[in-house]
Amino acid sequence: MAETLVLLKHRDVPGIENIDIYEQHGGYAGLKKALAMERDAVINEIKTSGLRGRGGAGFPAWIKWSGIPKDTKKPHYVLCNADEGEPGTFKDRELMLKLPHMVIEGMIIAAYATQSAKGYIYIRGEFVESARSIRRAIDQAYKKGYLGKSICGKEGFDFDLYIHMGAGSYECGEESALMSSLMGERGQPRLKFPHAPLPIHEGVWQSPTLINNVETYAAASQILAHGGAWYATMGTENSKGTKIISVSGHVKKPGNYEVELGYPVLDMIELAGGVTGGKLKAVIPGGSSVPIIPAELCKDFKLDYDAHQVVQYSMRTMRLPVVGSGGFMVFNDKTDIVVLMRRTAEFYTHESCGKCTPCREGTRWIFKILSRITTGGGLPGDIDLLVNICDQIDGRSYCGLGDAAAWPIMGAIKHFRHEFEYWIEHKRSPVGEDCLPPAPEPLNPLLTLTPV
Amino acid sequence: MSEQAGYVPVVGAVAEPQPAPEKSYRFSEQAIQELEEILTHYPDKKSAILPALWIAQREYDGYLPPQAIQEVADRLERPFVEVEGVATFYTMYNLRKRGRHHLEVCTCLTCAVMGAYEVVHHLEKRLGVKVGQTTSDGEFTLSEVECLNYCGAATVVQVGDKYFGNITKENVDELIETLRNSNEFTPADLANAIVRLHIPERTAKK
Ligand SMILES: Cc1cc2nc3c(=O)[nH]c(=O)nc-3n(C[C@H](O)[C@H](O)[C@H](O)COP(=O)(O)O)c2cc1C
Ligand code: SF4
Ligand code: FES
Repeated sequence: MAETLVLLKHRDVPGIENIDIYEQHGGYAGLKKALAMERDAVINEIKTSGLRGRGGAGFPAWIKWSGIPKDTKKPHYVLCNADEGEPGTFKDRELMLKLPHMVIEGMIIAAYATQSAKGYIYIRGEFVESARSIRRAIDQAYKKGYLGKSICGKEGFDFDLYIHMGAGSYECGEESALMSSLMGERGQPRLKFPHAPLPIHEGVWQSPTLINNVETYAAASQILAHGGAWYATMGTENSKGTKIISVSGHVKKPGNYEVELGYPVLDMIELAGGVTGGKLKAVIPGGSSVPIIPAELCKDFKLDYDAHQVVQYSMRTMRLPVVGSGGFMVFNDKTDIVVLMRRTAEFYTHESCGKCTPCREGTRWIFKILSRITTGGGLPGDIDLLVNICDQIDGRSYCGLGDAAAWPIMGAIKHFRHEFEYWIEHKRSPVGEDCLPPAPEPLNPLLTLTPV
Repeated sequence: MSEQAGYVPVVGAVAEPQPAPEKSYRFSEQAIQELEEILTHYPDKKSAILPALWIAQREYDGYLPPQAIQEVADRLERPFVEVEGVATFYTMYNLRKRGRHHLEVCTCLTCAVMGAYEVVHHLEKRLGVKVGQTTSDGEFTLSEVECLNYCGAATVVQVGDKYFGNITKENVDELIETLRNSNEFTPADLANAIVRLHIPERTAKK
């Protein structure tokens, strides 16, 4: 199966990041159509399209859009989540770099639909290159009258768009933490519904706030340009449209591929040129947070929001996602899954914001236990201990980061328990000396991610 | 944090007595104008803490000594501890001086399986420092970072405002040589680039 190019259709057109060339290729047509419609009709178009959030959770976009109050007693805000931090994902980076106007167009449409006068793109601090592209695009859009006062001659529709750069924190991708960060605070999440109002009623600066991912806004611009019904012809019943999948790891042609949702996992590997350096061992299909799929089960999985894996705790079963943010990582048979999980745990340990105990302590414990296993100090009960800790974190932490720290470990234990047991019993890698990534040197742990 | 298994403290980074912040301001005329522009983007002054810290990081040579934090706090009329709390939360604000080039090697999942640890070990030997340390000539600081989200080009190394992709232990020496002869890609360049990104063209000074 081939790619289905909707967002990335013009990615190779030279100069497409400039407004004139973007317009020549149908750019800002979606905005013009939207401005000729009533606000509710715009939201209805999004509803017809079946667009679901592309940031990871897959929440239907129209529900958020239509939830913004109809009155403007308080100012409304439109935020774009460009804090792409999920390991394995690099679609937002490319979208902003090559198609900045498509993202901006989607945001202007959202601003019109929600009567917002101000918007912010929160871009992670490391993404200077992509942000430069967005900066140029915003400046061009102001000159052409797509931003500023009376946009496209529409009386009463004013919209200003600002860039807010992050400063290095995965947690700021979590939407309420992003709002904290935008308000000049530490990037820690805020109290959530039902204990606090939803962001659509009280978000940033206690005002109604719409927040979506970069890819969600880009898709919205295409939906308005070509119609929601057209978009809904792609994908599956519950997961409509296309999704950009970032393929990396042991494949011949790593990169971003846009496919219809419901695309088979094995075909995805083929599309990226097949596995290199050995046979396929496992795939992490949706960013580091989703559980790993071993090679022999890949044929059963398709990339859509219905796909899930089940993991078992002592008292409960959990359904975990497959697509996530679309970070598709492929591993060949030289990969040591236990060491890989140690690195995953290291990531969550470092990125935990420290606000709640299950995640702050639990991630560290997981990392410590996996460290001792992979340096030859594993104890017989360690696997059960890991499951127990994951059980204490999953669903019991303040925000999604804690859950996301437990899921990959549970997935790995489910499918690769024998490798954990091998490490504990033999005190060396089941893959052999040349395993990837190499096990850490016992007395020289590499992690020095302390603040300096 | 340094007590955790797996964490080695960065030499000189712990329990060093901090001098009381002096009140000598260093924001240039341009920096003050940039801050004024940025303040118009938000409904309150507090929201400008992040961009203001970026300005400070540039004005103070690529890192944030206590004076820099004090200056931001004073200019935004916020308490020192609040600004300090923000500055210490985010990994890209440097609390100590970095080398002229800060090598930030991604060792997250994809990069790890594509040879990032070999690159790190090679650099440790080549530069004679451990991760987290700066070479004695002040040229390079070596760090490990989390996913830079350019995994298609693993291993990725960030230096200042630039990503270098497809780095291996074979070609990393070339990168080191290029950097030695380059005045670009410094920590202050990164801070400057980020500050400029906030400023719209119509208000920017040529
Ligand atoms: C720990 C954590 C990190 C997240 N990181 C990101 C991110 O980098 N980018 C993103 O778009 N969404 C991220 N999300 C999801 C956001 O919270 C939110 O669901 C999303 O921005 C909503 O946009 P969407 O509906 O368009 O997907 C993260 C969530 C969690 C819990
Ligand atoms: S789960 Fe808790 S400690 Fe972890 S990032 Fe979320 S709020 Fe912070
Ligand atoms: S793992 Fe290194 S850039 Fe993503």
